[in-house]
Amino acid sequence: MDLYEIRGGRLGVITEEAEQQELQTDLSSMQSHKDKVSNRRGRAALQKSLPLEQGKQSSPSPTGADDKCDAFREEGIEENFGRREQHLEQHYNDVLQTLSQRYDKRSTRLEEEKKGKLEALYTQLLVCGQAMDASKELIETAQEIYRCQDKRLFLKTVMPTIKRIEAFAKEKVDLTVATRPEFDTPLADLTDVKAMMDSINVIPAPSAPVINPQIPNSATQTSLRVCWSLFSDDTVEYYELYYRPVLEDVPADGTQVPEVSKVNVKETHCTVTDLLPNAQYELWVTATNTTGISPASEKALYMTVPSPPVIKQRECTSCTEAAFISWDSGNTNPVDSYTVELSELSAAGTYSDATESIVGVPTCQCVVQLQKGSRYLISVRAVNIGGSSDRSDVLTVSTTGTFFHLLEDTAHPCLSISEDGFTVFYGDEELPISAMASDENAFTRCVAVLGDLIPVRGRHYWEVEVDDDTEFRIGVAYEDTERNSYLGANSTSWCMRHIVTPSRHKYEFLHNGWSPDLRITVNPVRIGVALDYQKGTLSFFNVDLKQHLHTFHYRFQNYVHPCFGFDSPGALTVHNAIEAPEYAFI
Amino acid sequence: MALTLVSSNKCAGGFQKVFEHDSSELKCKMKFAVFIPPKAETEKCAVLYWLSGLTCTEQNFITKAGSQLPAAEHELIIVAPDTSPRGCKLEGEDESWDFGSGAGFYVDATQEPWRTNYRMYSYVTEELPRLINANFPTDPDRMSISGHSMGGHGALICALKNPGKYKARPASEGSVSAFAPICNPIQCPWGQKAFSGYLGNDRSTWEAYDATKLAAAYSGPRLDVLIDQGREDQFLSAGQLLPDNLISVCSKKIPVVFRLHEGYDHSFYFISSFMVDHVAHHAKFLKA
Repeated sequence: MDLYEIRGGRLGVITEEAEQQELQTDLSSMQSHKDKVSNRRGRAALQKSLPLEQGKQSSPSPTGADDKCDAFREEGIEENFGRREQHLEQHYNDVLQTLSQRYDKRSTRLEEEKKGKLEALYTQLLVCGQAMDASKELIETAQEIYRCQDKRLFLKTVMPTIKRIEAFAKEKVDLTVATRPEFDTPLADLTDVKAMMDSINVIPAPSAPVINPQIPNSATQTSLRVCWSLFSDDTVEYYELYYRPVLEDVPADGTQVPEVSKVNVKETHCTVTDLLPNAQYELWVTATNTTGISPASEKALYMTVPSPPVIKQRECTSCTEAAFISWDSGNTNPVDSYTVELSELSAAGTYSDATESIVGVPTCQCVVQLQKGSRYLISVRAVNIGGSSDRSDVLTVSTTGTFFHLLEDTAHPCLSISEDGFTVFYGDEELPISAMASDENAFTRCVAVLGDLIPVRGRHYWEVEVDDDTEFRIGVAYEDTERNSYLGANSTSWCMRHIVTPSRHKYEFLHNGWSPDLRITVNPVRIGVALDYQKGTLSFFNVDLKQHLHTFHYRFQNYVHPCFGFDSPGALTVHNAIEAPEYAFI
Repeated sequence: MALTLVSSNKCAGGFQKVFEHDSSELKCKMKFAVFIPPKAETEKCAVLYWLSGLTCTEQNFITKAGSQLPAAEHELIIVAPDTSPRGCKLEGEDESWDFGSGAGFYVDATQEPWRTNYRMYSYVTEELPRLINANFPTDPDRMSISGHSMGGHGALICALKNPGKYKARPASEGSVSAFAPICNPIQCPWGQKAFSGYLGNDRSTWEAYDATKLAAAYSGPRLDVLIDQGREDQFLSAGQLLPDNLISVCSKKIPVVFRLHEGYDHSFYFISSFMVDHVAHHAKFLKA
């Protein structure tokens, strides 16, 4: 029996067997899986050509906002298909990848096992070889001794050698192969791969919806119309819309984070109500189905429409060709701009529906051009990203003549102004010192008050009604005329002055303290004042007689205001919005 | 009555012309100046009569006063007659500059040798308007009157003695204006000299031609008066003009605006400075 042969041959068998085993077990399983995969692929391919029904909603709704959402979806079928295909490919690729990873792992392990076995065998082989060499050597030694002629030498060496042989014979050589030729084939744990394969069939949780940006003019003061879409054919049972106001000052410690509100909705749109005007809201949406909840969409910022502005009637002025409108914003936070709307009274006596609009007004005031001799209704709206507010209350403007109120904060403390704002009284009573501490803007010496003339360099006409013995100063002054000076005594005011002396009535036309020498025999009780910026004239008339009294010639550099003052207690009444008589502007 | 054109010059878009005619009131040839504004080509215009002062003829006003531009703008015909009859060869008529030639004082004289020719009041109030209305595109219902110094006196008395004549419409306000007028001739040397020569020594006959007296007694329709006076006017300080007297008697019927202008004298430099205001004053009342 030749040990070497046995062992060598068996060794070769071992390696072969091992190789075969590798291929058989894994390849077969892989093959079956691969078949399944390609089948699936085929089915998926079929499915592609049919319209995908999963995850889509039913008929489009009537509102324009929904149509817009539908439009998004229509365009998305191609995208849907693309995504679906991608999703499929990815899924199957994952499976294949996992499988090939497993294969790699297993085959390396098998390699290592083989190596180990071979090494063990080899070591054994070595040991055997050594044992064989040792026994060979012994045998040769014994044979040599046996052939030895020298009997004396023979006797000397035979005993130890015999002893050696005996010892050697006693040694058992382990001839059993250290390792078994068979390889273990542990069960391949492919449960996770199986799960992956199964999950292809399971409906995934939806992907994040896409929330649309705010559609212009879809918001009101207290509500927002929100739309979103789903760019995949995921099944969705319902959506959840979350929203919270965006506050300006959020405290650092996060204690006063605004509450998030939630609305459950089946459609891809929703109108959120009960909101604050001119406020920014953060909104996001999730989609939910039986599998789970999608990730949240991106957060969108929507804005509610502002509250309507409030026109400040007392500050609005007008003339024959324009009106100056002033208003309060009506909102605590800033808005983007304002829109001023005008409607002209037609010849038929009705206000036209067609209004003229001035958009993009940046501040809370505006000068609008108008036609002479007409009536207008004017209103204002506040505008932000969300849209326009409701209309403010309406202001009626008539362009027959110049119209203004008195600037009550310029009135000397001794003056009182009637309720309607057009009659001024300078009373007899002494005022206490406390009353003298008044507005910074008020006259302190000359008992006077300014009017609020519209800043338009055209023609303006107004009348002042006085008594025969009223000692007045009537005219115009620059807005910044010295409040501690007398009307007409400085270079910033021009006025007609009437005083009553013991002998006669005296009339002066004062500017810079100088007046021409004039006599007027009939005392005017209704004085017409005509201001012409272009011609640079300020004229005074006795309206009852149509009598021209005097004209100042001066190119007014800045805008002027009508001024009314008294030299002694009395009263005067301002009449404006009057059509200027022909003779006033010859 | 035939008019003879003496001169014609285009001016301010219209024409400044001078005509001569035989006057029936004055019994001599008289010249007068007339400015025809551009508007007169197409429409009838109102007329402003201008009476000049001592020593003037029809020339002074049209060459020095600067009236044509405002007249054209306000569409007025301005008629400026001479200040007295000419070429009558009356004795003493050229002796003084403030009596006789060039000093008719706009009265109808009652004394010899003046009573035949020196009827400037009737000439200005009767003959001349008839002549003008017959020969020029005038609206006979719209006329007004103005003047300087002696002519101012003339304008005032013509208006005061003819209530409702110098106006725009029947029964509306009348208007008259004057530059440095002789307001109270009875009380000043000029007036006294002229009136005693033309009207004799009965002062009661003078009152009929004294603006102050007439104003005090006036009861006609409202008459709007504009008077401009230079403060540096030598005749003012000499007591010839006496505007205060007139002003003090004017009632509500005669609303006066009297303006005393610093630095201005009695000359045409003064007149031309304020001519625009006077034309506008009249235009206001004469506009159709």
